[in-house]
Amino acid sequence: MCESLKIVGKNDDLYLPEPARIIEIKEFTPQEKFFRVEILSGKSLGHMPGQFVQVSILGIGEAPISVSSPPSDDNKFDLCVRAVGNVTNKLHTLKENDIIHIRGPFGHGFDNKILEKMEGKELLFIAGGIGYVPLRSLINKVLPQSDKYKKVSILYGCKTRPERMYQDELEQIHNLGGNVELLETVDNGDDKWNGNVGVITTLIPKVDFDINNTIAVICGPPIMYKFVLQSLLGRNLPKESIYMSLERRMKCGVGKCGHCQMEGVYVCQEGPVFNYADVQNNEEVL
Amino acid sequence: MNENAEVLLISKSDLLAGIDKVLASHKVAALTTKEERTLYDFISASSEIELDYKPTVLSPKKFFFPQDEVIVEYTDDGKVTAKIDAEPMILFGIRPCDINGIKILDEAFADSNGDPNYLAKREKAVIIGMDCKAICDENAFCYKVKANYAHSGFDVMLQEQGDKYVVQAVTDKGREFMKNFNTTAGNQSDVEAFLNEKAEGFKDKTPFKDLDKLPEVMAANYNHKVWDEESSRCLSCGSCIMVCPTCYCFDVADELALSLKKGERIRRWDACMLSSFAEVAGNENFREDKKDRLHHRISRKFDYLMKKHGQSVCVGCGRCVRACLANISPKTIVEKITCDKGE
Repeated sequence: MCESLKIVGKNDDLYLPEPARIIEIKEFTPQEKFFRVEILSGKSLGHMPGQFVQVSILGIGEAPISVSSPPSDDNKFDLCVRAVGNVTNKLHTLKENDIIHIRGPFGHGFDNKILEKMEGKELLFIAGGIGYVPLRSLINKVLPQSDKYKKVSILYGCKTRPERMYQDELEQIHNLGGNVELLETVDNGDDKWNGNVGVITTLIPKVDFDINNTIAVICGPPIMYKFVLQSLLGRNLPKESIYMSLERRMKCGVGKCGHCQMEGVYVCQEGPVFNYADVQNNEEVL
Repeated sequence: MNENAEVLLISKSDLLAGIDKVLASHKVAALTTKEERTLYDFISASSEIELDYKPTVLSPKKFFFPQDEVIVEYTDDGKVTAKIDAEPMILFGIRPCDINGIKILDEAFADSNGDPNYLAKREKAVIIGMDCKAICDENAFCYKVKANYAHSGFDVMLQEQGDKYVVQAVTDKGREFMKNFNTTAGNQSDVEAFLNEKAEGFKDKTPFKDLDKLPEVMAANYNHKVWDEESSRCLSCGSCIMVCPTCYCFDVADELALSLKKGERIRRWDACMLSSFAEVAGNENFREDKKDRLHHRISRKFDYLMKKHGQSVCVGCGRCVRACLANISPKTIVEKITCDKGE
């Protein structure tokens, strides 16, 4: 033995964030803003749908944020951020052309194996509130090639009508027709809302899907998973056909800091996208 | 231990003289006493070394993974740099429990996402182990997890025998280090004589029942009443984690200088026993109950990370037992679960 320490990998830039410019901002709701960002070095983020980045505001801190745009070859990507903490509140005060910093992409997203498994199937996206944001990285990859899938159903639920995000895009999806359908609901209706009123699970019975040929993808607030899973499993959709994107606190993004652990699983490494069958016995998932 | 390692002998006085020689060119940290507390710290002369072990509050983990550490620096002109500090260091007199602790941290920080700050310090360190012949106090339970023996993770191992030490340098670094010392040739029988004495010292000290199967046993006892019983006293203070040689969770925070012209990103030890540890935006808390937090911490040691490292991630050093104001001990918890009546 000539060394007492065996090093598998070492990255001197593991915690070093790189600069990116905000090139577009849209205010979706008083709490949620859209940011289009370009990496200053010119390189592509190179992410899979479902991955996240650590967004830094120097002097304030770092927070994990889902990438909301599909993979692309250019150096631009989308974030949609709810102002809830130090970093996200500060981010909301920034203007176009301001510089932020990012690390990543991190985590395991919808990889090629999962994407291949989805081909030819009926896709059922179920998004609650800000859960639409991470799923949009996959939805907007799938929609331009919707002929690859038997059917694409998107269920989207929000608390109220004004809290719906990406409203222009939702309108476009409603008008796509063909094998694409978008069903929306709000928990509390108002006089401008003609659609469904009720929690997201009230939409599930309205969708016809072939349990032997469907992949469901869920993202939403923690409470939503339990009821959506009950509903899907109640329709006898196999556990292996259900994917979930989960949220946890994360400080490092590289499987060290421990904040995102669910039992022995580091969400920042093995997730945030999980097949339900793989984590069904993990008591800390839901 | 490597059975082919060359066996040397050194007298106590030659050992200390050698350390003084090394001190001329290297920083040396060893067990020492400051303000009546025994601790691992940098020394300036070999006379400051405590050769007999007394339990320390903190483990030598602090030399590679300090309580707080700047990892990124930035200035208001947009310059951002990774800050990686390390200087050569000799860690002298590290006991088997803590060597096992370092080995686990090595595996955690030298994985495919190798941590630059930990590794820079670790790579420049020479670790001189000091084997134990008996349990250090009533709180330690190293023998319960077989961490009273260190098989790797060190460069040199010293074993006390009368007024001399048996020396085995098992790495190139260790062999190079030993060139500073006046040694004589020993042989395998010297090692065996020590090991016999050690076996006598740990006689009747038996490992946990089914030690190797603890991950399955812990998983099967997710809802055992011990979690309620033990956590009911927990104060959620996080002391157990602050003193643990194998806890490595951390928080990251930014601090701006008063001038607002520069700032630092700092990582600090964090504790999964604190109520805010698994809290996310919107106040959702994934481990709100202290019972779940105790379960998580203990399961990291004997289940989740034990599967990854292939050995108990609790090294039985007893530091958390000494630090706990509520008398909570991993040993008691595992014994209750395994219906092990203890030694």
